[in-house]
Amino acid sequence: MAQTVRAATAAAVTQTQPDVELRQVFKTFGADLAVRQLDLAVQPGEFFSILGPSGCGKTTTLRLIAGFETPTAGDVLIQGANVSAVPAHRRPVNTVFQSYALFDHMTVKDNIAFGLKIRHLAAAQVRDRVGDALRLVRLEPMANRYPAQLSGGQQQRVALARALVNRPAVMLLDEPLGALDQKLRKQMQVELTTLHRQLGITFIMVTHDQEEALALSDRIAVMNNGQIEQIGTPSDIYDRPHTPFVADFIGDTNLLPGRIDEAHPAQVRVTTESGLRVLARAGNMSSNQAVVVSVRPEKINLSLGAAGGNGNCYQGQVSHLMYLGTHLHCIVRLSSGESLTVRQPNRADTPIAVDTPVYVHWAADDCLALEAA
Amino acid sequence: MAGLAATNCRQNLSGPSAGGGGGDDGALHIYTWANYTDDGLADAFTERTGIPVVVDIFDSNEIMLTRMQAGGGDAYSILYPSDYMVSEMLELNLLTELDQSRITGLENLKAQWANPAYDPNNAHSIPFCWGTTGLLYNREVSPGEPIDWDFLWENQDALSRRITMLDDMRETLGATLKSLGYSYNSSNPAEIEAAYNRLLELQPHIAAFKTTGFENELLGGDLSVSMAYSSDAIALTLEDDRMEYIIPDSGASLWTDTLAIPATAPNVDAAYQWINFLLEPETASAAVERLYFATANQAAFERLPADIQNNQDLYPPEEVLAKSEGIVAVDADSTDLFDQFWTEVTSA
Amino acid sequence: MTPASAPIPSTTWAARLAPRRWLGPVVLLAPAGVWLLLLLVLPTLLILEISLVPGLRLGQPSGGYGLGNYLQILQPVYLRVIGRSLAFAVGSTLLCLVLGFPVAYWLALLSPRRWRNLLLVGFILPLWTSSLLRAYAWTTILRPSGVFNTMLTTLGLPAQNWLNTPTAVFIGLTYSFLPYMVLILYASLEKLDTRLLEAAADLGATPRQSFWKITVPQTLPGIAAASLLVFISTLSDFVVPTLLGGASSMNISRLIYNQFLGPTRAWGFGSALSMVLILAVSLAIALLLRYGDRNTVTEA
Repeated sequence: MAQTVRAATAAAVTQTQPDVELRQVFKTFGADLAVRQLDLAVQPGEFFSILGPSGCGKTTTLRLIAGFETPTAGDVLIQGANVSAVPAHRRPVNTVFQSYALFDHMTVKDNIAFGLKIRHLAAAQVRDRVGDALRLVRLEPMANRYPAQLSGGQQQRVALARALVNRPAVMLLDEPLGALDQKLRKQMQVELTTLHRQLGITFIMVTHDQEEALALSDRIAVMNNGQIEQIGTPSDIYDRPHTPFVADFIGDTNLLPGRIDEAHPAQVRVTTESGLRVLARAGNMSSNQAVVVSVRPEKINLSLGAAGGNGNCYQGQVSHLMYLGTHLHCIVRLSSGESLTVRQPNRADTPIAVDTPVYVHWAADDCLALEAA
Repeated sequence: MAGLAATNCRQNLSGPSAGGGGGDDGALHIYTWANYTDDGLADAFTERTGIPVVVDIFDSNEIMLTRMQAGGGDAYSILYPSDYMVSEMLELNLLTELDQSRITGLENLKAQWANPAYDPNNAHSIPFCWGTTGLLYNREVSPGEPIDWDFLWENQDALSRRITMLDDMRETLGATLKSLGYSYNSSNPAEIEAAYNRLLELQPHIAAFKTTGFENELLGGDLSVSMAYSSDAIALTLEDDRMEYIIPDSGASLWTDTLAIPATAPNVDAAYQWINFLLEPETASAAVERLYFATANQAAFERLPADIQNNQDLYPPEEVLAKSEGIVAVDADSTDLFDQFWTEVTSA
Repeated sequence: MTPASAPIPSTTWAARLAPRRWLGPVVLLAPAGVWLLLLLVLPTLLILEISLVPGLRLGQPSGGYGLGNYLQILQPVYLRVIGRSLAFAVGSTLLCLVLGFPVAYWLALLSPRRWRNLLLVGFILPLWTSSLLRAYAWTTILRPSGVFNTMLTTLGLPAQNWLNTPTAVFIGLTYSFLPYMVLILYASLEKLDTRLLEAAADLGATPRQSFWKITVPQTLPGIAAASLLVFISTLSDFVVPTLLGGASSMNISRLIYNQFLGPTRAWGFGSALSMVLILAVSLAIALLLRYGDRNTVTEA
């Protein structure tokens, strides 16, 4: 059936048709609105991540695509075909589960062969493809073991192989690396991108780990409260967040709420609630609009003397200092009362300590005025 | 299963209470058939003597014997073995020789029990009641009126699984022997085997081998005919007009249930008191009027109302009794044959 | 004691404690051990001894030891009794499984969560009534003029005289032991990781394929445990065949009963039959343990 879905849509395929598309999707559980008004399109071959805090609806979104949930309203399309009412076992997607969900009563080999046998592939073909999959995830020696006899990373690779071997149109990955320790995680991240490049199929990954999302994805959808806040490339998301939530969730940032005094194209002057006057980059905004200015800690410079230039420069005092090896993590209390987190390279030219009076300064282009939520 | 048929609230429904030394508590422990005692009898005795009565029930002689052998010997002061079981227990030295001087009222017994074959001179047992074993049937559903044991074989299809036979080896195999014209007490292997084969022919049509517990199904018409002891059967015929009891023409078994004291009995005094109590004509006739068994006590019989005295089911005429015979213990080889065939026919 | 001035070296304590290390297990196990020895091992040995005396009857002199009682079991009529007992056990176990699995499945996976315990209790309730009473209830239902036939005739179906037939025994046994089956299967199904079912669906398995390839293998230890328990119980059940089977359903436990409390009083033969039953049940338990073990290995 999966084959027919694919075949039927293949004829109608145009180059730009997305592999997966959600149109105005709502999903409620009882009185709870899990996702609302979801619109997204994932292009063929993309490594697409859905990123957000727990409870934001990202896993529900993935389950809607996989077919474990049906939308309360709206449509789910896979390769152009509306699959909203198609049960999971007839959708041309395969999932790598957060818990791996390996069949512990089957060997590694049988786990991987499961989907192929269900589709009644010839025994020889099953053997070949399982062999290929095992080679791909480098688990050939483990073929006859049971999942319980494997390490976490090995189990993770079995889960990958079990999904990949079916050559799905789309691979869905639900927190695939969540259960692994830091080191293994880095290693598996590399393996995932390698696999993605080798196979050329669409990956949709759900994660709460922004670093992982930034490192692996072609594009990222940031979700909050059941809604998509922003979809974009990692640098879009990081450098050009659309909302204070995105700015805050991706990486660290300082958020300074205020109002626009003067609006120019691409730049505004904002007076924060504490009276600080800040120049910031901005899109089309008008005077008197409520905004939040976001400035990332690593964009802020510290110096003992006042800096010149046309940037933002304020006086303050170091209130906390953490030594982190590659850099210093300081909190500077400004004379206006606000506290800013500053990440300072570990260099000898700025000897600072707690209570040192300092100046903080950054370029207008290094901070962003965002529409207040 | 025995207990479920009992309606007497003092009777111990969960089986014998006397695991060990039940007699030491001063009470009189009695091990008897289901319908020989009731609260009235026990209360009257307690009122007279101050001795409480505890009654346990068995539904076959063999169960009683096994319990007595398997460690129950000192649990009871009074047993109610049937005739052939008295002989068997005598051989196993399980019964006390009675001290005739402590018994009063023996002269009240009917003449025919002055010197019974199973226990000469009543040295170890006192005849208590007697009866026959015949066929009890429901006139409404029976395919005819049985006259003889043959009725069962001749109507086996119409009666299929509407018959119960007694779960009593000697009675049921004996009745089959009788239906073939042989004796209940045959020790001829060929005759015993012929009876086995005849019973085997009937076996698929027998609903169950039951000594008690067929009454409701018979009343409800789910059973047509049940082989039954007259003591059980007559109570039912008096209760319901559709019930009839017959003593088969070719003869039935004539049984006597007795009172005996186990060789190792506790509280022997109370046991003698119980025996004397039951030998009193007033006590015996009052019990018979309530419980409908045929008393072996002539003085009690004479005190009964005429309708009971003339009940031919209860007290059959002489010519019927003449054709019937008592079951007596047979020799060891025949016992083996009876055992083997009985086990096989009930296992088929 | 003045610990400051005369500290006791820890090794001394260790040395003093060491010999007592065996004491804990012994103290813990002794009561149960004595219990088992007195009430299980010794009686079983006694039965074994009696079974080796051919023709033993209580109160009668007996000959020496021999295998006569066991040879007697090999007669066709008794082999049929054993065969019938096995048929009752296997048949009613399968019936329990077929009827019990859907119920347990529904209770564990599909029933409304807040009603689940209540539903479970409702289903298990029959366990708390006397098995004797339950069997009696069935005689009332199954007798020709009983409730069952009234229902059949009301529906225009022919009446059935099932009382005192093997059919009644199957019905009675299944009814008696179905709650055990459901309870154990429920415990097993409740532990089923439903994510595995999603994974199977994700890999293209239809609900039916998921059931056979995931649900059943995953709950196999539970299925085996429940089935063997019901098998053991039905194999040695006495009440149901006696009350519902009538003359048609002599099984091994009724036969044993008759040897001890029936007219024949053949204790030797009865003991030999008991040994056969004990052996069959032990075999079933051994199977259960072995099956359980293999699954715990793969589970762990």
